[in-house]
Amino acid sequence: MTGAAEADRELDARLTDLLRRCAQSDGEALQRLYALVSPTLFACLTRMLRRRSLAEEALQDVFVTVWQRAQQFRPERGRAMAWLVAIARYRAIDLLRHERFAAVLVADLPTGTAPGEEPGDDPTAMLAGTGLLERCLALLTREQRHCLELAFVGGNSHADVARLVGSPLGTVKSWIRRGLQSLKACLEA
Amino acid sequence: MNTPPTDIDLLDRLAAEYVLGTLRGPARRRLERWRSRSVLLDERCRFWEDGLMPLLRGLRPLEPPAHVWQGIRARLDLRSPARGSRARLYALAASVLLIVAIGAFFYWRTLAPPPRASVVATIAAPSGALMWQVEIYGAAGAPARLSVRAGALAAPPAGRDYELWALPKGRAPVSLGLLPYRHDAMHRALSLAQQQALANATQLAVSVEPAGGSPTGLPTGAVVFVASLRSMS
Repeated sequence: MTGAAEADRELDARLTDLLRRCAQSDGEALQRLYALVSPTLFACLTRMLRRRSLAEEALQDVFVTVWQRAQQFRPERGRAMAWLVAIARYRAIDLLRHERFAAVLVADLPTGTAPGEEPGDDPTAMLAGTGLLERCLALLTREQRHCLELAFVGGNSHADVARLVGSPLGTVKSWIRRGLQSLKACLEA
Repeated sequence: MNTPPTDIDLLDRLAAEYVLGTLRGPARRRLERWRSRSVLLDERCRFWEDGLMPLLRGLRPLEPPAHVWQGIRARLDLRSPARGSRARLYALAASVLLIVAIGAFFYWRTLAPPPRASVVATIAAPSGALMWQVEIYGAAGAPARLSVRAGALAAPPAGRDYELWALPKGRAPVSLGLLPYRHDAMHRALSLAQQQALANATQLAVSVEPAGGSPTGLPTGAVVFVASLRSMS
């Protein structure tokens, strides 16, 4: 775990440096940043938007935004990868407003991490953090965790999640609310 | 309500639902306005952005097509020539020379052994129509790069993706990534795990997976094509 955490810090330092250079209008830094993180962000956008062409358009928007806002990134306030993922996800959610039915089919979602993989072989290691969330997720009920994943990974609204899990909207809202409360208590403990 | 609430628990709940993506519509817009004015709200949003990010771990990275980067470069006008003093022109010339030198170095490094595939596989439909042509480059028994070209008929199954797998003898399949569609091509360097799997494999398989790829790291959907690897040496 120490090795993974170290690799994680190293990646973050690299991304932070590239963002700092983007803020100084260094186009080569943007290209390097793109090479590093675009496969992860594109996977995220494709999952949320369900259409490759729309995800491609969104990915362009994301990197234009990254370029324009790079100077607003403050490494002391959060991880660079989280900042980049947030820009991508918020762009997808904005696009989903106009594509009301795009997310209805999102039923296949990761229910856990890939088993038996060495940390070094994990292509999504850049999203892994320190494993704290995994430990905290284990404290949730199956329903809470499933609903959080449907919302966060699939870009589903409360109503979409309720439809997908076949439970009343109020129940789903309460699973999500309690899931978030438990996560907060665990992450801040 | 034009000013952010002062109740920290309420702020935190709103931040969490905003980051999760379930806060929608006008409430979402309003929170975005508040966030730009409230350090506390911004801090809570960042807490959740950092905290929830690992939920994306199951996603397999997906290489975007080359035209996406070209579009970004065009939109940002990143190719516009540098203007300025003579010194900057010299600096530019020096960096061009450096890039050419580095390029030449890598050209010789990578092309010195002629770029001929060492192993190939043809994935075809039962009708015989070419779906994908797979080529693996590198010394015999030491695969290093993968190149896949899609035939005209290779189209994604509705809302899903085709994923390519190496089938190493006596071991679990190892993903070689998502397949390209309709004349598109995919080129990539192989990871160590992929190299080892290919060195011990005689067959490739294609499975139907959720868009973005298998969430588990192993095939989860139907295996629709299997093809043999042929050595070209």
